[in-house]
Amino acid sequence: MLGVTFICFVIFRFTGDPSVIIAGQDATPAQVEEVRQAYGLDKPFYIQYVLWLSHAARGDFGRSFISRVPALGLILERLPATVELATTAVLLALSLGVFLGVVVSIRPRRWLSRLIMMSSLAGISTPTFLIGTLLIMVFAVELGILPPFGRGETVLLFHYWPTGFLTLSGLTHLVLPVLTLVGYQLAVLLRLTRAGMREVLGEEYIKTAWAKGLSRKRVVFKHALRNVLIPVVTMSGLMLGEILVFSIVTETIYQWPGMGNLLLTSIYESDQPVIVAYIMLASFIILTINVGVDILYALLNPKIRYD
Amino acid sequence: MRKRRMALLSGLLFACLVCASPTLAASPLILADDTPPTTMDPAADNSDSTCSVLVNVFDGLLAREGKEGKIVPGLAEKYEHPDALTWKFILRQGVKFHNGNPLTSADVKFSFERLADPKLSKWLETGQAIASIETPDERTIIFKTKNPTPWFISNVHQLFIVSKKDVESRDAGDVGVKPMGTGPYKFVEWIKGSHLKFTANEAYWGGAPKIKQVELKIITEPATRFAALASGSVDLVAGLPLELFEQIQQNPKLEILSRPSRRVIFLALGNKAGTPLADVRVRRAIYLAINEDEIIQKVMQGKASPAAQLADSASTGFNPTLKRLPFDPEKSKALLKEAGYEKGFEITLAGPNDRYVNDAKIAEAAVQYLNKVGIKAKLDVKPKAVFFPEVSSGDKFDFYLLSWLDGAYDSARGISTNLATYNKEKGWGGWNGARFSDPEIDALMDQAAVMVDLAERDKLLQKAHVVIQEKVPLIPLHCGIDLYGLVKDRGVKFTPRPERWLVYKEIEKK
Repeated sequence: MLGVTFICFVIFRFTGDPSVIIAGQDATPAQVEEVRQAYGLDKPFYIQYVLWLSHAARGDFGRSFISRVPALGLILERLPATVELATTAVLLALSLGVFLGVVVSIRPRRWLSRLIMMSSLAGISTPTFLIGTLLIMVFAVELGILPPFGRGETVLLFHYWPTGFLTLSGLTHLVLPVLTLVGYQLAVLLRLTRAGMREVLGEEYIKTAWAKGLSRKRVVFKHALRNVLIPVVTMSGLMLGEILVFSIVTETIYQWPGMGNLLLTSIYESDQPVIVAYIMLASFIILTINVGVDILYALLNPKIRYD
Repeated sequence: MRKRRMALLSGLLFACLVCASPTLAASPLILADDTPPTTMDPAADNSDSTCSVLVNVFDGLLAREGKEGKIVPGLAEKYEHPDALTWKFILRQGVKFHNGNPLTSADVKFSFERLADPKLSKWLETGQAIASIETPDERTIIFKTKNPTPWFISNVHQLFIVSKKDVESRDAGDVGVKPMGTGPYKFVEWIKGSHLKFTANEAYWGGAPKIKQVELKIITEPATRFAALASGSVDLVAGLPLELFEQIQQNPKLEILSRPSRRVIFLALGNKAGTPLADVRVRRAIYLAINEDEIIQKVMQGKASPAAQLADSASTGFNPTLKRLPFDPEKSKALLKEAGYEKGFEITLAGPNDRYVNDAKIAEAAVQYLNKVGIKAKLDVKPKAVFFPEVSSGDKFDFYLLSWLDGAYDSARGISTNLATYNKEKGWGGWNGARFSDPEIDALMDQAAVMVDLAERDKLLQKAHVVIQEKVPLIPLHCGIDLYGLVKDRGVKFTPRPERWLVYKEIEKK
């Protein structure tokens, strides 16, 4: 993570001097200079970096140049919306993907299986912004049955976490963005499950299981699927991290008040403290999820032990 | 399974009913805009998107009303201007903040002092122009400016007054997200990236507003803004995307309102010695080579009006008789020949690609016109976050696309900031990225700096725009058009304002 911070700082050396933008259109050159000093932007690069690091170590990631409030708070405020969207999408993709993957692998030649495989190809290859725009046009504009954007009504949980899960409006607002995100994830997980299943179903121990006269359910779900799940869980973990951190396109199309939306605005405004804090948080989230996935392995496969 | 499916279906059905149910009487007004406000602290931002929100919660000493932005009394019921440096305001009686505290001159003084703090303020130029603020009694404020500041009065409508007690009692972060003022609407909530909610201030000094609840949705994505309007999720959308104009026009449920934008798009030129641009004939040749009518028709799809000067019709100094130099490629070639550049020369046109409507496409078109008269022009467009600091640094470009809109309705600032010789003491040339320099324009700006009488000032600046056209430090292109979309059957009445603010008390709804 230290490396990440350094790279961020180096990049910002090349994206121009923010004091011009902070000072605003009507500021005179002398006033721009004053702003540069007030924000410490006149100091040499390495001093800025060390100062920032020492503050960051104490949990202070600086204030946004644009809204002038703490950068980390600005991001954490957006966290609940993104987390709800991402987890719903990944859970849906995981359960549906594994289920359909199993269905397809058991009866690979049925027309239903072929249909599923074909649509999964479409799911992988259609870009998010296209799916998003199409869904809005069909369900919100033409049919008028689902809201086109936003998060709907929210309820505050534990004085901090506004949730959209508990209101009807919150749930209806969730449908289209989740569908948009799920398309790709579902297709990938489905294909991964199918490939794994087909391989495992040909193994000797499965034949043994069949020979023992075990029920189909037991063979497929207990003996075969469990061994397939490890790559699937890894993939879902990666996906969860990715959606949490980079669901920028979907959040922008649906005007979802999440972190991706904030990141995009901050990049346009070159709001460096927010961008750096965001990247720090992103690397933290992804690291955490990877550790979580490792722990899940042990649960899925008792042979894996971390001593 | 069947049961569950039924539950799902009925759930969906219910959702449809909720979405489609007709709005009841005294329904809230739901608006959508394209750019989010950045803060709720009036000192911390001067962008239109932020002011457009804050004007509903706060008041300035004066206000601007309606279609033409005429100055009317605000928190001050009158003002005097006894000498060139002094501005005296008398506050209206009985004005109260939303928390019930009375407004006093101390609040005004405090609000203006905040503007001078570089850690806090985006109004430094205004804040630091003031030498002292006196408050002889509860209702009187006397400003003394350091130098004669002619635009002082035309700017105070956007300098909003906060409560001293309230701001001092909270930390800066809280002030930046929860505004509390004297305005017609009280702040309810701001969910960043989503919406803001307001409720009517029944005790407003100008009378309680008719619409009681207002919700402002911020939708940055153009296609989604259109979807919000077409699906009827909002009553009024500001910032309709140009590329969806025809789709909206064909939709019988929607109505389009438009108003010429105050923003002038222009190409700026340098005149550094030793470059081809040092010769005024070359600069004029570039002007004549550009077919602005075609840019308006093809790039802007007819949604722009040609601009002849660095001012819009609402600004002091706008010269109504000035016309653009007509497109004339033959004359352009002749001028180039006269100046000794018959075979052309190399030049790069820089510009932003994410700031103004079709900015990169306009620059691209300009480059092609120049190539037609033999100038070997290249294009260099980049994101505004990189481009703006490069312009302001003054050593990167000789030729670039930029735009100007003066919030104070005075065209002198546009000239002194973009075209006057770079001068740190005078505060000139901050955006003069090509470091153009001309003594005659500078002299006019010196005169304008001390000319406070509005009629005289208007005359002087009108003359300045004629001189500028002769010297060609810039090629004005066009003013865009602000587009708004309405859902027809909601009974919403709205008149677009010059500065694009949404002032809720001026909007009517059945």
